[in-house]
Amino acid sequence: MVALVVVSTFMVLVLGVLVAGLLRSHADILRSLHELGVGVGDPASTTHSVPSLSALDPATPSSASGLGPAPTVAGVTPTGDARAIAVDHNDGLTLLGFLSSGCATCAGFWHALQAPEALNLPDGTRVAIVTKGPDREVPSEVGALTTGRVPVVMSTEAWLDYKIPGSPFFVLVDGSTGQMIGQGVASHVGQLAELIRRAEHDRLPDRRRRRRRPSPLNGLDGPARAVAADDVLQAAGIHPGDPSLYPTSLEDVFPFGTPTESAGMPQAHADQVD
Amino acid sequence: MPTIGAHGIMSRLPAGFEGRIFVRTSTVGMTYPVAQFATFPLPDNVGDFGSGAVTLMGPLDVFVCLFEYGPESSGTALFAQRGRPAVLSPNDFSPVRLRRGLLGQSGTQSFFTEAGRPFSLYAVLGSHVHRASLVPRVNALISSLTVNSTTADVPVPRPQWN
Repeated sequence: MVALVVVSTFMVLVLGVLVAGLLRSHADILRSLHELGVGVGDPASTTHSVPSLSALDPATPSSASGLGPAPTVAGVTPTGDARAIAVDHNDGLTLLGFLSSGCATCAGFWHALQAPEALNLPDGTRVAIVTKGPDREVPSEVGALTTGRVPVVMSTEAWLDYKIPGSPFFVLVDGSTGQMIGQGVASHVGQLAELIRRAEHDRLPDRRRRRRRPSPLNGLDGPARAVAADDVLQAAGIHPGDPSLYPTSLEDVFPFGTPTESAGMPQAHADQVD
Repeated sequence: MPTIGAHGIMSRLPAGFEGRIFVRTSTVGMTYPVAQFATFPLPDNVGDFGSGAVTLMGPLDVFVCLFEYGPESSGTALFAQRGRPAVLSPNDFSPVRLRRGLLGQSGTQSFFTEAGRPFSLYAVLGSHVHRASLVPRVNALISSLTVNSTTADVPVPRPQWN
């Protein structure tokens, strides 16, 4: 009887040690997951500083002010040309899509980002696709996915500069400040639109102050454009018969002098395009 | 400082500039490298000398184009100047030097031979009135350029099996 009690006590102690070890291991795993940005709950015991990328929930895009300055994206195109895209010299947004040629999730974004009008992006939003450089991607495969409608830059340096954890990944930059205002992962176009919508909402007060009035002639052609132009002229006080509509000399059109368009220019290129 | 280079032309881009260095594809004849730089978003489909881009410029923007001509131009009087202009002055810019006259803008163009390659440097200011403050930006871009004697680029390592 005594022996049975001793054995039982020993077994309980051993099992207790095992359970404590499992709980400690579980806590370590949770703490590590939290540091990677995918943790749950509140790991009160951790005091580690968390980098900005780790603060993201990678399952959904996020937006915030002050994610840091956005560097210029510089690299090469799939055809071997050089290309640099600055993201801090305009009033609009720039959406950088970090994609790969081989990732299945990226396929939909290759199509969507190269038809940006279907994304209902805010006016003036510029879209660019960034892949890793030719040292990590095959240019011909990237080129096969490129339609030429938006810039595609191959740059491993950009991936490092922006600390991109994987593809697809998106960064939204406010051109007026040069700051990243949103970044994250999206598994489908709807999530990406949500990222942009949130970021646009966050900076809405600023945009209201700076928003440029779109030209009433945008998107018009033919008679509709002529009618719209007439309306603009009349609103500016220029009515039919106004002398400014009938220049009598080149000085009326070019007050600084006449342009010397193509005068004496050598034509060395077979297909030179002015 | 971002750096781009292709076809024997390299630039360490000054702040606020973006650019592209490319050779236009052609089914007939030969084409040569063109480098374009701008302080505003540069569309991909623009003319060699900036048509389609200069109309997008704001008054405080600049556009610079380095355009290479064929080797038959080497040694001709037009390209007799050795090396690009070191420094441009506001007096070099004039509205009448624009390839396409746009109200308010001004431009300059010079022809020279550098590294044995004949070039034209064409620059446009968004505002002739502000040329004193804009020309230094053009000069910063010009000084950032490096031209090699050959258009061949250093081969980039390709992905391969370990």
